[in-house]
Amino acid sequence: MSLIVAENLVKSYGRVVAVESLSLTLDEGSVTGLIGPNGAGKTTTIKMILGLLKPDKGVVKVFGQNPWDNTAIRSMIGVVYEKAFFPAHQKTLEYLQRVCRIFGVSESRAMEVLELVNLQEASDRQIKALSAGMLQKFAIAHALVHSPKLIVADEMTANLDPQARSELLDVVLQLNRDEKAAFLLSSHILPELSRVCDSVAIINRGKVWAFGKLSELYEKYAVGIIRVSTDSPYELEAEIKKLNYVKEVNSDIRGISVTVVEGKEDELYEDVPKLAKKIKAKILGIETGSASMQELYRLAITAKERK
Amino acid sequence: MGKGKPFLEVLASAIHEDFRFPFLEIFAFLYALGTFVLASFTVSIYTQTATNEAVAYAVTTSLLSGSLIVFVLLIFKNVAYGLGSDLEKGIIQTYFSYPLRRRGILTAKLLSALGVSLLLFLGIQISALYILAPDIVLPQFSTIILTYAANLSYPLLISAIMLLMTLILRRGGIGLVVGIVLYVAMNIVSGIAFFVALATESPLMLQIISLISPSYALQYHYGGLSGVSELSSLTWNPTLSETLLYIGGSYVIVASLFVLGYIYFSRRLNL
Repeated sequence: MSLIVAENLVKSYGRVVAVESLSLTLDEGSVTGLIGPNGAGKTTTIKMILGLLKPDKGVVKVFGQNPWDNTAIRSMIGVVYEKAFFPAHQKTLEYLQRVCRIFGVSESRAMEVLELVNLQEASDRQIKALSAGMLQKFAIAHALVHSPKLIVADEMTANLDPQARSELLDVVLQLNRDEKAAFLLSSHILPELSRVCDSVAIINRGKVWAFGKLSELYEKYAVGIIRVSTDSPYELEAEIKKLNYVKEVNSDIRGISVTVVEGKEDELYEDVPKLAKKIKAKILGIETGSASMQELYRLAITAKERK
Repeated sequence: MGKGKPFLEVLASAIHEDFRFPFLEIFAFLYALGTFVLASFTVSIYTQTATNEAVAYAVTTSLLSGSLIVFVLLIFKNVAYGLGSDLEKGIIQTYFSYPLRRRGILTAKLLSALGVSLLLFLGIQISALYILAPDIVLPQFSTIILTYAANLSYPLLISAIMLLMTLILRRGGIGLVVGIVLYVAMNIVSGIAFFVALATESPLMLQIISLISPSYALQYHYGGLSGVSELSSLTWNPTLSETLLYIGGSYVIVASLFVLGYIYFSRRLNL
């Protein structure tokens, strides 16, 4: 069953078209990432899904219903906004207990969710006294109070330190595994999405440029990519670029991603060690089809632009 | 799950924010100060020989003149600043994730912003009337209610305009400025209307002003145009039914603006 169905959504702010003919679906129990650059239309899409914005055109259904001013579906959705704001002068635990009463769940759930995000020590603090990271964790706890079937999060980990991010992703995986909660996660931090998502929608200029299971997208866009791990990526990149069957080379601090003409993979496997020897670089590994989410994103965008 | 609980919890949350320490204490003190200390008894001077209703009107007007400004300040703070900052910061967005209709959320916010302020105002005022003039309160209760209704209409009209501006602009600053300007402007405009009425010898301007602020119609009903007979042949002494029409008309305008606010909040407000 599809929890979210968006068809041909269009939303403009004056003359600026934020979302243009965007369609996507989110299935029960899935973790779908919404990735794209700033201004791609991710937040506008999420707001239309949550019933905060009315689309100019198109249809959005959440749990089969129109989300605008719909109280029936709100008990099934947990929301984490990019910038979380709550009544500032109330204490964290007291406010969550209030939210428990709103959703008709036991007040003991308030402490449970605070513990889940490691915020139990701040239970007596006023919300305004929380740091940006703590406020983000509080927003996540707030979204989990009523054990929703669907959690929609816009840049959920934006203000968190690496450890807190990692812990939070563990929570996502745990909720998905144990409670079959579905997630729609928008983020520009791609490596963390690759850890938790099974599907990805790549959004650019208000449109979905690629959408599907991660494995399918890798198969479609990342074919012919060979990852070379080395201690001297930038020097080796310059040498690899000289090979006439190499279509594209991208390096980062840990290695190089090389796209070759179809059927030339074996040649690259032979040539790379020779080139490394020539410039005295150390090869740590050569692997086919191990493009990062970042590369997948770049490849999907490039492929679409070429079309 | 019933619908009552989310509404009551959002209302409690809004009251907690609007009247957090020390706002409730300060405004309660100002109300008491306005009622007992700043009351103006000038109105009663020329109505000393008037009817019981006129005396009740004069005493009530005297008593409320000092604290009406406190009520106006409180609704300025709660409607424009409170609701405006909730919209700007995203707290309304957070409320929209709860199982409560948009109109329920706005009702909770307005009950906190206006209802509590009004209860505080009327509670202190009626108590004061009962303490200071018990022989007037009980026999002339309808006159007292009418006086409050007439005097509160214009502040409520301003708050409805501020509400609409705050919702449409999604920030309270401009609504707050417009509210203050409208409140000050009414005193100037009513003065101008009075002189225009004298000059043209027609009460038309006073009637128009009374439709927006019916306290003028009530004032002319009980007091007439005292002391102007030498300047002009203008006479305007609306009957009680006419005065009630002005009060009713003004509340229709106020209610229409609030309904517009509700329609905008429920159907058009994109966050």
